[in-house]
This record gives sequence, structure tokens and C-alpha cells, in this order.
Amino acid sequence: MEGLSEIKRILIEKFGDNIIEYKIVSPKRIIVKVKSEKVKDIASELKRLDFDMPVSAGGVDYIKKGIFEVFWIIWSSRYNVILILKTEISRDSPEVDSLVNIWKGVQKFERETWELMGINFKGHPKLKRLLLPEDWDYEKEGYPLRKDFSLKPYER
Amino acid sequence: MSVIRVEEIEELEGGLMRVRIGPQHPISGQGTIIVTTDGEIVYEIDVDIGYSHRGIEKILENRTYLQGIVPMERMVMLDTSHVDMAYVRAIEELLGIEAPPRAQYIRTIILEMNRIISHTYALGLLAESTGWFPAFFLWTTGDREPFLELMEMLTGARWSYSFIIPGGVRADLPSGFKEKALKAIEYFRERLDVYMDAWMENALFEVRTRGVGVIPSSKAIEWGAAGPNLRASGVRYDTRKNEPYAAYGELDFKIAVETAGDAYARGAVRIQEMYISLDIIQQALENMPSGPIKVNVPQRVPPGEVYSRVESARGELGVYLVSDGTDKPYRVKISAPSFRNFFLLEMLPTIQEIKFADVPVLYMSFDPWFLDADR
Repeated sequence: MEGLSEIKRILIEKFGDNIIEYKIVSPKRIIVKVKSEKVKDIASELKRLDFDMPVSAGGVDYIKKGIFEVFWIIWSSRYNVILILKTEISRDSPEVDSLVNIWKGVQKFERETWELMGINFKGHPKLKRLLLPEDWDYEKEGYPLRKDFSLKPYER
Repeated sequence: MSVIRVEEIEELEGGLMRVRIGPQHPISGQGTIIVTTDGEIVYEIDVDIGYSHRGIEKILENRTYLQGIVPMERMVMLDTSHVDMAYVRAIEELLGIEAPPRAQYIRTIILEMNRIISHTYALGLLAESTGWFPAFFLWTTGDREPFLELMEMLTGARWSYSFIIPGGVRADLPSGFKEKALKAIEYFRERLDVYMDAWMENALFEVRTRGVGVIPSSKAIEWGAAGPNLRASGVRYDTRKNEPYAAYGELDFKIAVETAGDAYARGAVRIQEMYISLDIIQQALENMPSGPIKVNVPQRVPPGEVYSRVESARGELGVYLVSDGTDKPYRVKISAPSFRNFFLLEMLPTIQEIKFADVPVLYMSFDPWFLDADR
């Protein structure tokens, strides 16, 4: 576990109060919550610290607080722990840096989140329709994974 | 199928040609693989998924935790109990409860039987995609039958069991299960030896699969490979060992790892895993503790978030669950192994020269499952 506290020290030394929270939830889970402007720099630093394998990425819609929480889940082959990197962005201008250049494997997950939640990943190479039908109209139908998406038309 | 029936060919500038394989095609499943070729060489692969997107993540937000198990399972019909387990594990972690030991052992048995059922299907298709072994798919389909029968005996269904629930399992082992299961294990172990003989050590099969689609371990990690595809590249990573759940922490088993990283290695890992699964089932049956099979759990799950994962047949299946304290999940993010493995298929032409004729073999060696990626 020394290694993991060491990571905390390095991160806080380098990024100061851009690290909002660093929590070791259990021996195999760390949650790092950061400010959205610095997410790319922090991610590169984490990659350098051997958090190398992307596992997942996505978003959570906290509609009452007016924010989206974007998360990336990364496994470290050295420490054998899962790190959840989180950041909050405003619901009105949902935009965050894409981490595809750092962890290639998040490409499809970010693409999916862009499509179903309407979060724009800046610098993503391939933001194309993936799961929804070609003629899906966001204006009319909305983003399926947002909390204000209405299920009424689909109820029987 | 060895012969690719091309659905649509489109000529592009610079002598490139775009071939769409699917969505109604013997090898494609419920999706399309768009292959751009430069003559014989594959220039780019794009996997177009989403033909069977059902919005399972959204559906789960509108079901109670217990109700959610059934739609969740529709993700991977061949491997439903792993999907079930991933969700239940997340719920149990948030609740802070653990199922009684006997339930954990029964879970292990059903999970490993499901792994065998899934792997036999994958291997049958891999063999068939090489074009040499049209009968092999029938073999594997026939040989998984004893396990389907055991599943029916235990859960009442051949597919889609909904058997693992928060706090335990739905029913105890029926009488005569152990004897029947031991018989099935013995039978299947013999059959695996035959597979090794007739197929894995067959020169014709090796010609088609060795050296096809080699993924070095550094790339497998960088691209986020999952499950047998990761282990075939020499990465020793198995959630059953790394974060034991069910009874895996108490049982003695190895992880199947190959180093070559090619289509053959991915097949070989699956064969070895089935041997290991048989051992695990046998151990679990013999060391089965007595006691209750479930504990009562509250309807409401305390607020919080958890990322929980299990090693499904196709690889690590993760569930990121956010609860707001009600009886329904606030958000469920499922990271499906096939979703990650399709990315490997897309990235492969960037590091290696792939022949168009190898695309079916390559594709089947990843054990893809479109419903899993679509959710």
C-alpha cells in the first residue's frame, strides 16, 4: 500500500488543489476526483505512474446538481488496483478533454458516452454514431442516458 | 464458413475497396464488419455495432434491483450467470453483505458450467471459420449438452437462469446432481482430449491460426483487451484470482496463459480454461459446505457507488453501480468484454499486415458477441 500513498503525494505535489479528492476505498480501489481543466495532465501523470490498462469510461447525470460526472476506470498492471478517475462538468456545456491519446482503449467508451449522454470529448478522433439508429433525432427524442429522457413513448 | 458471401462492395479512391460483412451473414452475428482492403491486404476494419441495442443500462434504472437481473441477463445469452453475478456482486458490495458459503459454492459451479457452455460455442465457431472442420461445431454443440442438462436440473432452464440473486442463490442442489455432474465432467474431459488431438494439434488448423492477428502484451494492455484474449498475449490477469468472488478464493486453480498472442493462442487459452473449469467444478462439488443458501437482503440499497467485476467467459465484465438509496439503481454502467475486444479488431491492422482471407478466423478468435457490446 506504500506505493499508493506515494502516488497521492506525487499527484498533490504536482497538481495541488486540482486534485479534489484522493480516496483509497478498498485495497483494490482508488477514487481520484479532479478538476476538469486539468484532467488530461493528471491522466498523463497517472499513465506514467503505471496505470496502464483502460477498462471503462462513462458518465453519470446528476440532474438535481446540474452536473455530469465523467469517469474513466483504469487498471494498473503494476499495483493490481483499479483507479476511478472522475471529474465534474457543467450540464449546460458538457465538454471535457478526451483521454484517447493517453489510454487508447477508452476510445469506444468515450464515443458511446458522447452518443448516449451528449458529452463532448474534445480531441476524440472518431465521434461517430455507434449504438443509436442513423435517424435518431436528438432534438426530438433527447439523449437516452440523461435523466430527463422520457420513457413514455416506449411504454406499453 | 470459409467462403465469404459479400453483401456489399464499394470501390474507393486509390484502389481501395470497402467490403461490408453483415449484418446478415454467417460469420458476422448481429453486426457489420466494414473491411477496407487494399487488394488482398486489410487496410482498415470498422466494427459497426448497435443493431441490437436495447438500452439495458436505461432499463435497469427503471427496475428494482431484483427485477433488473432478468433484463440484464439478456446481454449474453450464452453466459447469463456471469452477467447476473456481476450485477449481484455490485449490489452485495453496496449492501455490505455476503452470501453464505454454500451459496458461494453453488454459484461457482454454475459460473464454471456457463464458462464451458460459452467456450465450446466459441471454439466451435473458431474451428468452423478456418474452413477445415465443418463438423467441429456439431461436436462442441453436442458435448455441451450434459452441462445444459445439469443447468436445467439445477435452475429449471437451459438458458437464462436468473439463479444468482442478492444474498445467495434461488435453490439448493437437487438430489443426484453431484453424481450426474461428476459423470458429465468425466465425459467432457475425455472429449477435450479428443479436441486437442483432432483439432488443436492438427497441422491444418495451425496453418490457419498460428501467426494470425498477433497482439503483443504491451498492445493488449494499451488497447484494453479482456479475458482470454488478454491472457493469450501473456498477461497474467484473471479477476477470479485478482479479486476472488464466489468460492474462488478457497479453491485451488491455475490461470491459463499463452504468450504467442495469435489466434491459435486465443483458442488454446479457451481449451485450457475448460480443463481448469472442470477441476473447479469437481473441487466445488467435493468440498461443498452445508448450511443455508441465502440470506435476506433489504429492498433498498444504501447510497454509494461501486465498481465491481467478474471474469465472464469473454473477459472481465464490470458494473459501475451508483445508488441513491432507493430500491432502484441510479445509474448502471456496464463495461462489456466484447465491447473492448471489438476495439482490438479495429486496431489490429495498424500494427500488422492482415490478409482479407484471415478476417473470419481473426474475428472468431476474439469470441465476439454483439449483443454483449450493444447492451
